Amino acid sequence: MTESNPKTISKSKSPKEEDVRIGLYICNCGINIGGVLEMDDMIEFGKTLPNVTLCKKYKFYCSDNGQAEIAKDIKDGLINRVVVAACSPRMHEPTFRRVLKSNGLNPFYFAQANIREHATWVNMYDHEGAQRIAKDHIRMQVAKVRKLKALETIKVKVKPSTLIIGAGIAGMNSALDLADQGFKVYLIEREPTIGGHMAQLDKTFPTMDCSSCILTPKMVDVSRNPNIHIMAYSEVEKVDGYIGNFEVKIKHKAHYIDQLKCTACGACVDSCPVICANDFDLNMGPRKAIYIPFPQAVPGQYTIDIDHCIKCGNCASPSICEPGAIIYDEEDHYSTLKVGTIIVSTGFDQIDPTNLKNYGYGKYENVINGLEMERNLSSTGPNLGKPVCPSNGKPPHSVAWLQCVGSRDNREGYHPYCSRVCCMYAIKQARQYKEKHPEAECYIFYMDIRAFGKGYEEFYESSSHDFGIKYMRGRLAEIYENPDKTLLLRGEDTFLSQPIAINVDLVVLSTGVEARTDATNVATMLGIQQTSDGFFMEAHPKLRPLDSLTAGIFMAGVAQGPKDIPDTVSQAKGAASGAAILMAKGEVEVDPYYAVVYPNLCSGCRSCINLCPYSAITFDESHKVAYINPIMCHGCGTCVASCPSNAIEQNHFSGDQLMTIITDVLGGLY
Amino acid sequence: MEKITPNIIFNISNDISDEIIKDEALRIMKACFQCGTCTGSCPSGRRTAIRTRQIMRKAVLSLDEVLSDEDIWLCSTCYTCYERCPRNIPVTDVIIKLRNLATQRGFIKPAHQKVTQVLADTGHGVPLGITKNSEENQWSKARESYGLSKIPPTTHSHPEAVLEIQKLMQLTNFDKLVKLEFKSINEGKK
Repeated sequence: MTESNPKTISKSKSPKEEDVRIGLYICNCGINIGGVLEMDDMIEFGKTLPNVTLCKKYKFYCSDNGQAEIAKDIKDGLINRVVVAACSPRMHEPTFRRVLKSNGLNPFYFAQANIREHATWVNMYDHEGAQRIAKDHIRMQVAKVRKLKALETIKVKVKPSTLIIGAGIAGMNSALDLADQGFKVYLIEREPTIGGHMAQLDKTFPTMDCSSCILTPKMVDVSRNPNIHIMAYSEVEKVDGYIGNFEVKIKHKAHYIDQLKCTACGACVDSCPVICANDFDLNMGPRKAIYIPFPQAVPGQYTIDIDHCIKCGNCASPSICEPGAIIYDEEDHYSTLKVGTIIVSTGFDQIDPTNLKNYGYGKYENVINGLEMERNLSSTGPNLGKPVCPSNGKPPHSVAWLQCVGSRDNREGYHPYCSRVCCMYAIKQARQYKEKHPEAECYIFYMDIRAFGKGYEEFYESSSHDFGIKYMRGRLAEIYENPDKTLLLRGEDTFLSQPIAINVDLVVLSTGVEARTDATNVATMLGIQQTSDGFFMEAHPKLRPLDSLTAGIFMAGVAQGPKDIPDTVSQAKGAASGAAILMAKGEVEVDPYYAVVYPNLCSGCRSCINLCPYSAITFDESHKVAYINPIMCHGCGTCVASCPSNAIEQNHFSGDQLMTIITDVLGGLY
Repeated sequence: MEKITPNIIFNISNDISDEIIKDEALRIMKACFQCGTCTGSCPSGRRTAIRTRQIMRKAVLSLDEVLSDEDIWLCSTCYTCYERCPRNIPVTDVIIKLRNLATQRGFIKPAHQKVTQVLADTGHGVPLGITKNSEENQWSKARESYGLSKIPPTTHSHPEAVLEIQKLMQLTNFDKLVKLEFKSINEGKK
């Protein structure tokens, strides 16, 4: 860790410009750049720039040969600064910095001009324009590199503990993997039980494993692992700090039952007179106001639904609750944790199809959604494994599944993406229903069946071959309710090119998944990004699919994008591995882009202190100057711009460096 | 469907689709994934031969038959498909564009041609049935009961304005497009 001593720092001068010898390397990037730009002209241009000693081109500078060429020029003493004009620095800045470092140059004497994303890709059909813009980008980076200063990376200790937000199948797998490696895991879940959506499913495709049978042993493993601390019915309130040293404030919602005293005997449930809708069963069945979500819930202690509780006192009587665990006036309480890494596995919400008026969900009793059908089929569900029509409680003779409800829909309020699980769960549900009622008619209205996973296509084939499920190619247009509550479906059989009308008893809307409604709050709190569809954004879609752009924070499961259980578990293990790597190393290097106060210029006005969004600035009373903690500083530049004495400078983005860029790109006009 | 011969498939052209997407709002037409929501929603298609999804397919593939077939004229422009299209394609607008193209290429149906002739003659697509004695017209009495003039203040009360409408038709070449005959103008010249 670098602690700057206010006494010794002075505004160092830039190195003499005549000593700067810049090597400018222009990358073809295959045809990405070379296919658009006139490379010989670029080389001629590069040679005219001040301090550029040599200017070369190559197919791929990121390749071994490309790197070797730069390394040789440095070793031969031809150059002492490097500019690579190529792709975005996001991917290869570290690559080229390593080349500088391993050949004895300070790695921060490097700048990368992004002439691919910023010039040739956006001007693919305007070669002259691309040429002009690429030259400007190169001119700017050459200007910057002339003024750059040598910097040292800072090392940060990583605490060997992880916060996992969301204890579904993703969070649980990450937790077990990390705990088994000896790291402390805090597993936060906002519901009273861990398990997530998987606990609500009846069976899983394509193996038809009972979902609870494979999930609940995992839940027990999690609860028994001494390194995992489950915090159920709790939510993250605030996250401060940085990689290796996050400080997390947690809200523990009141159970109104002392979780340590409750023995989960269940006597209170019988005494409770309140019957309300069971949200675990998607309000299709009843439960009491004192409850556990389902019999295998972990932790197994009870919770009072205070919105429905009438505080009659039945459950609190000593004859019912012998340990005296009921506390009607319990309040939410808060705790603070310090962790080194964070994994976000907050899962998904099901798309609400109510606004698709032509399907009549919420209006017609016998139109239900996918998760409701799952509870309808489940042996622990409201109908004990005997699925029925909600209107009459009788098993339907004919059932239709409608695919792509709310997904693959560009209209306002719905989602253009494919939810990836609905095809398979519809096939699975149809097959389950046919297993129970072989005489039933099952239709699946689809546009494309996406049976992409291992064993999925075979499962799809078997569903029609062995179970006689009828696949109707065409997105259903509209549903009407008949007087007897059966449903009239209208659509087109696109293979026949015929409008069709079918009467069925039950319709299941295969609703897709969407980002949690409060995903934006989570993203803001953690300082991570979302993609346009609302899911959390990975640092690189191919090569860093589990990292967020904020160091030390990883993601797993549907929180990152729609996926099925096998993919979720794979991601969870990957995210755990990402976190474990940081914690096993014990320290990480962080780019030194923090701001520095020059104490001889600081007037001690303290105006920067309150402006800092990261609370990184303190006041040094002995010297009467501001001091910026380099680890806590995120390099946002707010203090630099606000300082009335111009006493703060930001490493790698100093006023001098930025002004040189501007002056040069304007051709010295400024 | 029987008109799609191997010959047509091999002679792929973008003629019609290029013409349609000159209107930038219709470019999304190319994203049609043939889900059938439009055909399934079409009230006309339950009674007639119109298959909206096939019209879109033929338009994307630029098959000439989409302009010559009767189908595009069977749409009642109720806009249900437009509302429900999950790709946000303005289906009805595409069909209207196809009708314009069909007309430009001489595929107008005789009935529609007659309507334009009535428009040229009277200034109304659907003119009022005026008998010689306007007192006998039921609609005329109805208008009066609401305090309106007996004959509406359109070309019906100003027959001379029909000439201006015809002039507009000439200036825009609409007359040549749908092969109109301007009786009153020609008579006036004589």
